[in-house]
Amino acid sequence: MSEHEFHPLVKQLLDGDITLAALPPELRAEGEEALHLLAAVDRSPVQLPAVSRRVMRAVASRPARSVWRRVVEPRDVRLRIRPWLLAPALAIAAALILFLRPAPTAAPGSLITVRFVLVAPDAHEVSLAGTFNRWDAHATPLVRSGPTGVWTATLTLAAGQHQYAFVVDGVRWVPDPGAPAVDDGFGRRNSVLTL
Amino acid sequence: MIATLLVIPLTLLGMQQQDSIAARLAGRVTPDVATLVQQLSVAASARGLPVDPLIQKAIEGSAKGVPAERVATAVRWVAMQLDTAAAALREGGVVTDTLVIAAGEFAISAGLSNHDITALARTGASVAALTVGLRVAGTLAAMGVPSAENIGLISTKLRSGRPPGDLLLVPADVQSEIARGVTPAQAAAGLERAAAAQARHDPPPGRGNPPPHPPAPPHP
Repeated sequence: MSEHEFHPLVKQLLDGDITLAALPPELRAEGEEALHLLAAVDRSPVQLPAVSRRVMRAVASRPARSVWRRVVEPRDVRLRIRPWLLAPALAIAAALILFLRPAPTAAPGSLITVRFVLVAPDAHEVSLAGTFNRWDAHATPLVRSGPTGVWTATLTLAAGQHQYAFVVDGVRWVPDPGAPAVDDGFGRRNSVLTL
Repeated sequence: MIATLLVIPLTLLGMQQQDSIAARLAGRVTPDVATLVQQLSVAASARGLPVDPLIQKAIEGSAKGVPAERVATAVRWVAMQLDTAAAALREGGVVTDTLVIAAGEFAISAGLSNHDITALARTGASVAALTVGLRVAGTLAAMGVPSAENIGLISTKLRSGRPPGDLLLVPADVQSEIARGVTPAQAAAGLERAAAAQARHDPPPGRGNPPPHPPAPPHP
């Protein structure tokens, strides 16, 4: 098949932009030839019924994507921030922060006074560290009462569960001998107080 | 549009939570431990687990002068126990909140099993009562009460429908019995029998005692 380039005006004729009469006389023969070729082309749509049936059958038998797969399948997500939505978004954020922040672990009214006692005649200082004071070994010192070596502290604690230990002379962590104790995960014992 | 309305608040909420955890850990733990606790806390929070036990364990370890690697191991262990407790409670049909999960974690750390937690959850007690029950069961385990007697006693107490505050008296009762010379198991078993007998005589909770005599007629 030989390549044949029609004159631009003939192409316009084929496109229906101009008529054969509008062509210059020297191009009319070429225009007629082009129209003749165009008329020879069968432009009726091609029908392939077997192919269509196979495609439609394949589509129909394709399993539907489950909702779960739609959720968990990784896919690219484009996030466009619309400036006019920032205000409501920030308002929702504030509401979420207010409503979803951790609730206090005990009602304000449920406070119980507890007296801690440790007999340590040789100690120079004793303090109390536990979940109620963020394990701060300096926050809750005990007071020595008399020459017998009895150290005491009285605290008001929230109802609930507390774990604690005495800290003797700033270095020695000692469980309360008068309270049950559990493994602290570090090879020592924590005393337990349930209020 | 929906993405903007959801993503921004949730991102800000996550940032606020991380800031809060970072503030609690600041100056108390090494940077490595702080990073680990923040990661575990965000993951735990997303699963509905409490984060306070993780933070407390990290601070406790550092306060006790424990090496950072060992603190990290202990914090991971607590995270696993929280997961175990939450699963055990769900197995028992309890809609969990962070307090009851933390109580379950304590009970497990004190020596109870996930099956024990599930057994208590199946008593049908309210979440508030179950929270106290788990704390007390953990305390009894720390006192040396074996699991069978422990769960038997606390289950009976929970099923009695008595106020949760009554459960808080159980450790002292067990201690009194032990002081009389019985073993922790015998003490708990005796208290369970007493609680069961009382439950048989008491009316179901909420109905109150019937009046012993009909009310007097009004004065004319």
